[in-house]
Amino acid sequence: MFYAALLRFIRRPLVLGIIFASSLTYCIVSFLKEGTNKSMIYQDVSMQHKPFVWRTLQEHNETVDIECRNSVQGRALIVDDRGYVCERTGIGKNGCCIIEAEDTSRYSCQSCNEDHCCIIYEYCVSCCLDPKQRNMLQVVLSKLTVEEHVLVHSLADDYELCLTKCRTSSHSVLHENSYKDPGHKHCFGSTPAETKMES
Amino acid sequence: MGSTHCIKFFTLYLLLKNITCTQGNSCNGTASERIEYEYTTDIVRSEYIITFTGYYMKASRENYVSAALKNAGIKNWTMVTRENRAKDLPSDFEVITLNDNHKAALDALRDHPAVRRVTAQRQVQRTIKYINEDDCQSPECLYAGWRQFRRRSRVLNSLRKPHENDGYSSRKLLRTVPRQITSVLKADVLWSLGVTGEGIKVAVFDTGLSRNHPHFGHIRERTDWTGEKTLDDALGHGTFVAGVIASKADCLGFAPDAELHIFRVFTDNQVSYTSWFLDAFNYAIMKKIDVLNLSIGGPDFMDHPFVDKVWELTANKVIMVSAIGNDGPLYGTLNNPADQMDVIGVGGIGFDDRIAKFSSRGMTTWELPHGYGRMKPDIVTYGSGVRGSSLNGGCRSLSGTSVASPVVAGAIALLASGVPRQNLTPAAVKQALCITARRLQGPNMFEQGHGKLDLISAYQFLREYEPQASLSPPYIDLTECQYMWPYCTQPLYYSGQPTIANITIINGLGVAGNVKHVTWHPHLPNGLILSVSMEHIDIIWPYSGWLALRFSVLESGADFDGIVEGHINVTVESFDVSFRQKTRNMTLMLPIRARVIPVPLRSRRLLWDQFHSLRYPGGYFPRDDLRAKHDPLDWHADHIHTNFRDMYLRLREHGYYVEVMGSPLTCINTSLYGALLLVDPEDEYFPEEMAALKKAVDSGLSLIVFADWYNASLLRHVKFYDENTRQWWIPETGGANIPALNDLLSIFQVALGDRVFEGTFTLGGHTMYYASGTHIHSFPEHGVLVNAQLVDQGQQIMSGGKPSGNAKSNLPTVDVPILGLLQTDGETKDYSNDTMDKLPKAGRLVVYGDSSCLESGAGRPCHWLLLAALQYALGGHVPTSLKEAASKHRDVHIIPSELPQRAEGGRLHAYSRVLAADGSGPRPIPECEDISPLVASPVQAPPAARTLAPRHHPTDPRSIGAPETEGTEPAPRAWRGAGVAPAKQRSDSEEHSSYSNRALMFIAISAIIYCTVIFWKRYGRKMKRRKLISLAT
Repeated sequence: MFYAALLRFIRRPLVLGIIFASSLTYCIVSFLKEGTNKSMIYQDVSMQHKPFVWRTLQEHNETVDIECRNSVQGRALIVDDRGYVCERTGIGKNGCCIIEAEDTSRYSCQSCNEDHCCIIYEYCVSCCLDPKQRNMLQVVLSKLTVEEHVLVHSLADDYELCLTKCRTSSHSVLHENSYKDPGHKHCFGSTPAETKMES
Repeated sequence: MGSTHCIKFFTLYLLLKNITCTQGNSCNGTASERIEYEYTTDIVRSEYIITFTGYYMKASRENYVSAALKNAGIKNWTMVTRENRAKDLPSDFEVITLNDNHKAALDALRDHPAVRRVTAQRQVQRTIKYINEDDCQSPECLYAGWRQFRRRSRVLNSLRKPHENDGYSSRKLLRTVPRQITSVLKADVLWSLGVTGEGIKVAVFDTGLSRNHPHFGHIRERTDWTGEKTLDDALGHGTFVAGVIASKADCLGFAPDAELHIFRVFTDNQVSYTSWFLDAFNYAIMKKIDVLNLSIGGPDFMDHPFVDKVWELTANKVIMVSAIGNDGPLYGTLNNPADQMDVIGVGGIGFDDRIAKFSSRGMTTWELPHGYGRMKPDIVTYGSGVRGSSLNGGCRSLSGTSVASPVVAGAIALLASGVPRQNLTPAAVKQALCITARRLQGPNMFEQGHGKLDLISAYQFLREYEPQASLSPPYIDLTECQYMWPYCTQPLYYSGQPTIANITIINGLGVAGNVKHVTWHPHLPNGLILSVSMEHIDIIWPYSGWLALRFSVLESGADFDGIVEGHINVTVESFDVSFRQKTRNMTLMLPIRARVIPVPLRSRRLLWDQFHSLRYPGGYFPRDDLRAKHDPLDWHADHIHTNFRDMYLRLREHGYYVEVMGSPLTCINTSLYGALLLVDPEDEYFPEEMAALKKAVDSGLSLIVFADWYNASLLRHVKFYDENTRQWWIPETGGANIPALNDLLSIFQVALGDRVFEGTFTLGGHTMYYASGTHIHSFPEHGVLVNAQLVDQGQQIMSGGKPSGNAKSNLPTVDVPILGLLQTDGETKDYSNDTMDKLPKAGRLVVYGDSSCLESGAGRPCHWLLLAALQYALGGHVPTSLKEAASKHRDVHIIPSELPQRAEGGRLHAYSRVLAADGSGPRPIPECEDISPLVASPVQAPPAARTLAPRHHPTDPRSIGAPETEGTEPAPRAWRGAGVAPAKQRSDSEEHSSYSNRALMFIAISAIIYCTVIFWKRYGRKMKRRKLISLAT
């Protein structure tokens, strides 16, 4: 009885039409999606579509009991995710720069030039984290996503964007085996480093 | 132009050395490859093969031999037993060992009627390698490829010829290859403890990997950086490398449960760019990779973006493992990035525990000419005939350091999963591998590094690891042969150029650190004569640094003969976040032992000019042999301990002491030396140096020059297009810088010409090969000249490189002056019959036009010529071999030639140590470096043990315990993440989502079909009816 009614219901032209239309749309959309996936990013990675987060100044400031991420690699300096640069010895147990330490500075653009290229990596990251750079970084990010770049998909927030953007990359080299600018090689601007000719 | 003009090429290391017996060793240009046999034979002392006239049983053979030897009265002999299945069958030969009086015994044996002949026992080793026609050395395919030269990365193609292991049946010279590499290294012991590589992220930078390969279970990610729109491996290199690390089936890998991250950075044509690597490396940092395998490399250690990036990776706690290269057995052939001090550079050995012939070796050459190379490779492991995954899902055997590198990377991934996470820094792992490595008997430290990988001991070491710093090598025993070669070959003496040891500091205390202080403690009573000066890197980063020690003897030890000992204490300081917020100090003791002898005679001391040698990378400096077009760059450093190693050994055998000049000639007291060797110099000379040389020769220093080709138009001709940098490369000099050399030699009225000759000739009873050399253009009347019949190679190349062919006789040969002997201040004559005091006061000059024959690996070495030249230069005695060859007429102008001109628009000044960078001529002469010695604080100490090498006892595989973590959940990282947000819960792999996608799609498609069918059923009939109606009307 119930079964027959259901059957009759879904045999109605209108219902059939809706099912047909929605299924067709789904098919077309997913085919298109797969197609663009194939041509744009042919990468076999586990995509966790983490939304990109612009952290607010307040989040930058959450200190005391939180733990910081920091740039592990520095020769002498370390930058944490709040934008503080400090000496290696000025790192607290939670991975944050100790703000009270003498050499700690925030959003420091030391060694950087007007093209947003810096000599020292840690200052590049710190400078890049400055909320004043937000607008420019948004342009940078939109440009990046256009490029079929697997790297961009794994970025989670502005700190990761700055860490990644400041590293030397394929945009930093001239003739493959030399830097475009051996001095200011860490850049976070929207334009890649200018080729600097030695005398 | 600011770019350093140099070529970058990576090579994938895969060398096939299948022992296959196939005919065909002619170079006929039709076959794409051929097989070349290589024999090395050694006479086995005191063993002889007796061949009989017929086949006899063992007893009768023995009777014959004993009867023959009894007659000759020889009792001291034994028969070599041959344990094989033929021993019970009649044989026609016997091998015996004679202990004394060989000659009488052999005569007696030969006289015996049943003996046909007696021959010395030879040990024959035969290796067969595939040679691609492109690499053909024979004259038939001589010059064809200069302009088409396309970097060395092509080599992989030719060598990479799949041959399944089970496809051949031939004799093996190596010991039987074990089935599984993992069981040889006892990885199964760790597997049985539940250590399987779980939770360790291993990155493979290679040619990709197919998703559906049956051997792999945990391919976490595959990314392509080449833009080829594929992730699959078409070459088999990446599959093999990944298989050695993590294969789960058939030919097992070391860490079957490790997470594989496949980075495809080589195209199917083996093209690769630095920029691809940079982006891929950035992604690897982002993904917090634990172990990264690079079975790639190239000679360009001056590719700063690449080198800096590798350091950056290490600083981000990525353990870098790389293959040392397949350019052995030549020395000075280490490849980047394996030669970086932070990377674990892996060399290859065979299953017979001997260094594989292909494995690159020798010191690093970054530090030349002022310093001395570091010890590399770091460790060696099996790299010959290892079984791994093949493209089609089966297994294959391959050889190469490409194979050895993933063996180590896989081993690290395995042991890493069984030890606490905080112990997993690049420094700790490198220390674990190096300190526990088993040293091989025989090879020196520049061949084997710390020795052979011992997986179980390394595991145990890392389990109990305490953060520490260590030194590599851990001691300096300048007397210990073979391991401390070449240090042990030449003792120290007063006034000699300092002997330099370049120590690598591996700092497990933290990413960055510094050398706080260094103290020198000579051991009383003799140690005080040794002077030690020290230089070190400012900041030890990343996890590694260098410390260079220069040893010299004080004047008080000028007559001392014996052993001196002492030790150096190095304090390393590091700030460590994970260690109670404190700066940690560690003092390391470096034992030192050296042999000191009284100062040798002046006529025994030679000075080797390293300062004026320029090489690739930096600029395009071509090889000295124009036929070596498969490897056209001069990159072996031209040092007596690298590619001139064989020459150095010969000189030492003949009692000469060779010292290296790493600074301008003006910094050297030339009155101490008998002769200065200028071999293959590429740089210019300071005017001050020329004046100093003139003065030195006038007061008795002799000069020996081995020059090489130079011709400005030929330089332009041998340019080639480099795909990697997308630029044309023109050589900066010829084989040697003849214009500069001519300036130097002009003080003796000697000049070399600009024509290039090649050919085989006989000189003094030796067959010589003149591989692209220059000739003598002008020479003083009173000099002695030697001519040879040679072919004009320059003209041949310029005229389009017609093959000279085997029919050498067809080619016009010219009588060319190639060797000149000159007494600089008087008649050149033989002074051997005169007394020493009649010998002219000024030195002598010997000039030869080709230097390739002095290099190791030369087909026809001319070390004898160098020795003969030295005999003349140091004693004034013209060897008879040269005296006879000297041409009667001394006319150097028998062939028309010009003086070579410096190439216009040349960029030598960009690489020169002498010319100013702006091209305005020579720069001001640098100040002679004078490093003040360390203050000696002597201590009383008993003589050290026979060997200074620290002993690390191997761990018994049965004694090791299971990891505390039990391999269930990886322990949390103790370090603060490298910038990436704390890992979120991973949604259950994308495989899951792709399945659900497919299911949804299936449902949607069936719904569409269903709807269409229903519509058709209902309205199709109506339509038909309507159609009929319309037709009817």
